Amino acid sequence: MKKQRVLLIALVAMLSLVALPVFSQGSKDTAAATGPVTIELWYGAAVTEAGPPPADWVGFDIIKEKLNIDLKLTALPSNESDQDVKIQAAAAANNLPDLFMVRRDVLGRLVGQGLVASVDDLYAKMPVRTATHYDSVSQSHARFNGKSYGLADPGSINKNEGLLIRKDWLDNLGLSVPTTLDELMTVMHAFTYNDPDGNGKNDTYGYGAFQEVNNYEAWPGRRLEPLFGAFGVDGTWSMRAEDPGLMVLKSEFYDAMTFLKKMVDDGVMDPNWLAYKKDDFRAAWKQGRFGVMREQNAAFAAESNYAPFDKNFPNGEWIIVDAPVGPNGHASIGPYTASFRIYAISAKAEKAGKKDKIAELLEWMASDEGYYLLGWGVEGVNYTLDKNGVPVADGVANRDLAFSGPVGQTVTQLRNMVFYNGDIELLARYPKYTTATSKKEMSALDVLRVMQTKDWTAAVGSDTLPIANADLKRFYEQGLSEFITGKRVLNKANWDKWIEEFKKLGGQSWNDAGVAFAKENSLLI
Amino acid sequence: MEQSAKSTVLLREIKRHRSVYLLLIIPLTYYIIFKYVPIFNGQIAFKDYMALDGVLGSKWVGLEHFRTFMHSYYFIELLRNTLMYSFGKLVFSLPLAILLSIAIYESTHPRLSKIVQTLAYLPHFLSWVIMYGILLALLAPGDGIVNDVIKAFGGKSVDFLTSTKAFPWIVILSDAWKEMGWSAIIFIAALMGIDPSLFEAALVEGANSWQRVRYITLPSIKPVIVIVVLLRLGTILDAGFNQIFMLYSTPVLSVGDIIDTWVYRQGLLEFQFGLATAVGLFKGAIGMALILTSNRLVKRFGGSALF
Repeated sequence: MKKQRVLLIALVAMLSLVALPVFSQGSKDTAAATGPVTIELWYGAAVTEAGPPPADWVGFDIIKEKLNIDLKLTALPSNESDQDVKIQAAAAANNLPDLFMVRRDVLGRLVGQGLVASVDDLYAKMPVRTATHYDSVSQSHARFNGKSYGLADPGSINKNEGLLIRKDWLDNLGLSVPTTLDELMTVMHAFTYNDPDGNGKNDTYGYGAFQEVNNYEAWPGRRLEPLFGAFGVDGTWSMRAEDPGLMVLKSEFYDAMTFLKKMVDDGVMDPNWLAYKKDDFRAAWKQGRFGVMREQNAAFAAESNYAPFDKNFPNGEWIIVDAPVGPNGHASIGPYTASFRIYAISAKAEKAGKKDKIAELLEWMASDEGYYLLGWGVEGVNYTLDKNGVPVADGVANRDLAFSGPVGQTVTQLRNMVFYNGDIELLARYPKYTTATSKKEMSALDVLRVMQTKDWTAAVGSDTLPIANADLKRFYEQGLSEFITGKRVLNKANWDKWIEEFKKLGGQSWNDAGVAFAKENSLLI
Repeated sequence: MEQSAKSTVLLREIKRHRSVYLLLIIPLTYYIIFKYVPIFNGQIAFKDYMALDGVLGSKWVGLEHFRTFMHSYYFIELLRNTLMYSFGKLVFSLPLAILLSIAIYESTHPRLSKIVQTLAYLPHFLSWVIMYGILLALLAPGDGIVNDVIKAFGGKSVDFLTSTKAFPWIVILSDAWKEMGWSAIIFIAALMGIDPSLFEAALVEGANSWQRVRYITLPSIKPVIVIVVLLRLGTILDAGFNQIFMLYSTPVLSVGDIIDTWVYRQGLLEFQFGLATAVGLFKGAIGMALILTSNRLVKRFGGSALF
């Protein structure tokens, strides 16, 4: 009998737990009326491997004390598709948080559903933040039907990638730095077949990549843009006023595909490239599998990222080279656009009268106090200032608590909401250091500056052009990849036939809609 | 009068077995909240769902979402791929699970059978993310272990994960590898229920191992096999989203894209929840029709049906 009573109590307790969220929803609004205003923020984590700010983070208390805001944080998934699914699932249930990071495509769908608030009136309420974060390009980035529905903060730095080549392999083989596409092909052949690392094994390849696509860098994607750039067809869209439209419809795109096909057929391309995910690709160059690649400055040269390569190959050296020049004189590392992280305010938050409070919070983040607290933590605990006033990890008593340390990283998870790629940030983010094994002096900032001097294709706004529907996107990506893998024979007749089919399926309408949008928004150059 | 007596008996029975009924509350609550309540929201399959208007307030659009799905450029291919993987997994995984369970049951080395059983269960607990890492290490064309062996024997490496010919086999066989041990549990349980005197009699009659399996073991577990097949038919249009989503890539879309991956891209990523629900209903209807038909067929031919 006693046992059954215990069982009954346990069951009732479990059922109460199930019911709890239903009731907690109601009590939240009641509390908001009397206590501090609750603002629920879904943020993009600065360091996805690190956890969220701890419950006792000093920032929560300061925000509550100074702004009367009870900030509730939730980190969005690091993967963009997962982010989209999380936000759209919340949107479908009309349960979006007050403030949330969102990609532009998704934002457009939420605007269509009437689920987000316009932010045009907020710029004037945030004079400090607007001056550093929201220029005219930013304000127009999230504009739909004449209204701005997102606060577009500066995102990743422009032109922060480069074409890199193994200088030590070139030296071992007595080759010079390639400057044209033909020379690059010769080098890639030598890297594949002439044992550039001298280990006596046939275990190296010329070029390494993986499929990394987005709105403005369609298949085969970012990692191969320097090759397509040599034909003048890098990126999804041509933003040239005299020749706008989808790159795939240009005749030079066929030539670029032929070049890529030759790389694959000749075996100079790492054969794993279609199976690699980002981490596999990055592990591969650190293991010395290939000698040419396009990589991001910090992914290549930041201390922790370069360390495995330095350990494996103390005599190894990557150098940043110019984009190879193609048959008609074109050269480009790839397209660049103004990159933003958009934060939107839900219509629900606006209805609850939280919009001004959100502006107050964002403006505080742009103040010196908010900027340093969210960017680097607490002075003396998470960072110290060097003689130039740049936050550094040196001098912090507990290295784990330093802003770059495992614990310190958790208190700077919101730094992307305050950073705007100013000099202090870059100097702090990419300090000079000496590598552990080879004792080389490295700096991801120096690498960045060199990368930015190379040839790039201006494509600002190309990431805001209409996107293809899922079937058309699949047709596009699948068709191109089948030409490269050999499932479809790549010759002019087959190519023209495929292009015709692509146009019929909606490719022509997509092209026309993109060109019209670009003209309407003065994006062509 | 008779009705009231029946109710009293029922109540008495419930009271007598109250602890069992109490235990039933948890699964029942789960099914009500997560399976029955959402049926109400299934109506968005016929609506242009607007989150602000809610389920009831959204406009009716009839069968538009079903038409969109069926007129999709890839509809036939999606259906073909989905059925290919579902039947492929049924045809390969089920016999393998039965074979494994019989092998474990028939083993005369209990220690060895325990080790085999544990090793066979193990992959079930790994996520497909980890399985992908293992498969990449095994099958990568550049430095995968399998290709190293092929090359060592003078062969040419195979792009297992990006070749349209190899990919379906990788999907089916990797699923069999991962789930074989777990699926064998139900058959091992059925084998445990066989009357040992049947095997003793067979031994006395001089039956060898194969004859015991053929004339005792397989007929004894036949009802369980039929039920498992019937249940699998109900989810025939679920070809394994997690697995294929992890394994597929652009070059193998023609053989890798299934209904669920299409719904993920077209329905969830493009905020077309009505469309996603319509496809869910479509899958449910086909699954139900298949269960009802096959259950009737099993009954007609004298087998042990589900209901």
